Amino acid sequence: MTESKRQLAMVMDLNKCIGCQTCTIACKRLWTRDEGMEYMWWNSVNTQPGRGTPRDWEDMGGGFREGNAVPGKLPTRKDFGDAWEFNHEEVFFGGKGDKVHLKVKGEEPEWGPNWDEDQGAGEYPNAYYFYLPRICNHCTHPACLEACPRKAIVKREEDGIVLIDEDRCRGYRFCMEACPYKKIYFNHVEKVSQKCIFCFPRVEQGVANACARQCPGRVRFLGYRDDKNAPIWKLVDKWKVAIPLHPEYGTDANVFYVPPLAPPRFDENGEIDESNPRIPNEYLVSLFGPKVLESLEILKGEMAKTRAGGKSELLDLLIAYRWKDMFGGFDRDPATIEWKKA
Amino acid sequence: MRARTISSTEFDRLMDPSAATWKQAGAERVKLEGSPLGMQPTALIRAAWQDRKIGAIDRVQIAALHDGERLAFRLEWSDPTENRGNADNVDFPDGVAVLLPAVQGAPIVTMGAPGNAVNAWYWRADDDTNVRHVVAEGIGTSRTVSVEAGLARGAWKEGRWQVVIARALRVETVDPVAQLQAGETTGIGVAIWDGGSGERAGIKSISGLQWRKLSLDALPTARR
Repeated sequence: MTESKRQLAMVMDLNKCIGCQTCTIACKRLWTRDEGMEYMWWNSVNTQPGRGTPRDWEDMGGGFREGNAVPGKLPTRKDFGDAWEFNHEEVFFGGKGDKVHLKVKGEEPEWGPNWDEDQGAGEYPNAYYFYLPRICNHCTHPACLEACPRKAIVKREEDGIVLIDEDRCRGYRFCMEACPYKKIYFNHVEKVSQKCIFCFPRVEQGVANACARQCPGRVRFLGYRDDKNAPIWKLVDKWKVAIPLHPEYGTDANVFYVPPLAPPRFDENGEIDESNPRIPNEYLVSLFGPKVLESLEILKGEMAKTRAGGKSELLDLLIAYRWKDMFGGFDRDPATIEWKKA
Repeated sequence: MRARTISSTEFDRLMDPSAATWKQAGAERVKLEGSPLGMQPTALIRAAWQDRKIGAIDRVQIAALHDGERLAFRLEWSDPTENRGNADNVDFPDGVAVLLPAVQGAPIVTMGAPGNAVNAWYWRADDDTNVRHVVAEGIGTSRTVSVEAGLARGAWKEGRWQVVIARALRVETVDPVAQLQAGETTGIGVAIWDGGSGERAGIKSISGLQWRKLSLDALPTARR
């Protein structure tokens, strides 16, 4: 088993994510514009509760149970939402702009990468939802790497980034079956599997990942897991407010989430009712495991402290007054580098 | 099995799997078995296939002819579904490979060993005019090497695949591929993947865990 000397990690604060998909588009523009990559969203943001991307991925298996590999399903392109083709030509250049409206070509889609956006759950006035951005978790115990019969997946010793070697990959897709987060895509043109590369060419130059740097909500923190001056260590280890998604999958994910708080509920008389949370605890536990409740208590405690006029290192950190402080030293401006396509 | 000789003119027609010349070859029927679960190299693959049948294709007809310079194999098997594609994530192509030792004594069970390479002539339905030359020195080590003069043709008709794979007997390369000559006896193995059953990589039908015998007829004296 590959052991990395250091591990880069990300923390996403779900209380700040507004579901704008800027991260998604930043990634798309940078990495997945080639042929065969049309349906790929290495970064996705879905509304929770929801079926996610790919559709119902949490029921597709993979990962480890008691250390043993769990078989998984291959998501289809339709499950991922596929890439819709539009009649742009006809509308914009066909001289029929006043008669024809923009629509998807061919079969009417039944699913898309963000199909159940903002549906959420609960009943008025106590409806709830939040956004869940996801990338490859660059796991400490990557199920994809262990599943590959060709050893085509590597976990880099220097920073723990998990990469698929496309020269070794034969497109067998055992990694896709094995990944419990279903964050691996098959490129049907190149016949290889592809996934988030944690923007390693940027990170190697001291530049934060595109998804993190472009985020208007200051949601994403970056850094080495063991860097006590970086926000990751403080949020994960010191303050214990950032936890992995589905820890029961057994892969030791390196993307951590600050769980969502929500406004209080209203009772039948329209009065504020703080006896139960708006987002049911069971639901959050189903996503993040039982530790999520402790994380929420810590957040609430620190919020109460500042409301009473006190100071909180944790809240200052989460507010991210200084944008660059979010990136654990990876704060170089990409415009200062002359980038060359390999 | 035996690779009979034919003239170079006749050999040129062999790339058509339905060529009449193939009737002279004396095709041999080979029983296939699923590759053993325990030989699969990763825990995920073993877990995923422990309750599934490995080896959907249970027999193949194989014929071979050579002209002293080139060797061609014709493989025919029954497969009710023609799987050519990778169009969706759940689609896998049908395929076939002929395995030869690159070094005499190379083990077939482990797909070679370090320094004891095996050489597969590999055809896949998503790329049906190419033969991929694969060299392996142990499970999981296979790599494609570029060898000129490899040719293949595959056709699926009425529920049967007919595939011809050919190569020069000797090729110039630094890679450890099989170098053959008329009159020689070597080993041979066959593997078939049924894409429709999700077969790929080590999940396949094989001709067994031992090399079968392949004898190349000596050339007629006049042509030596």
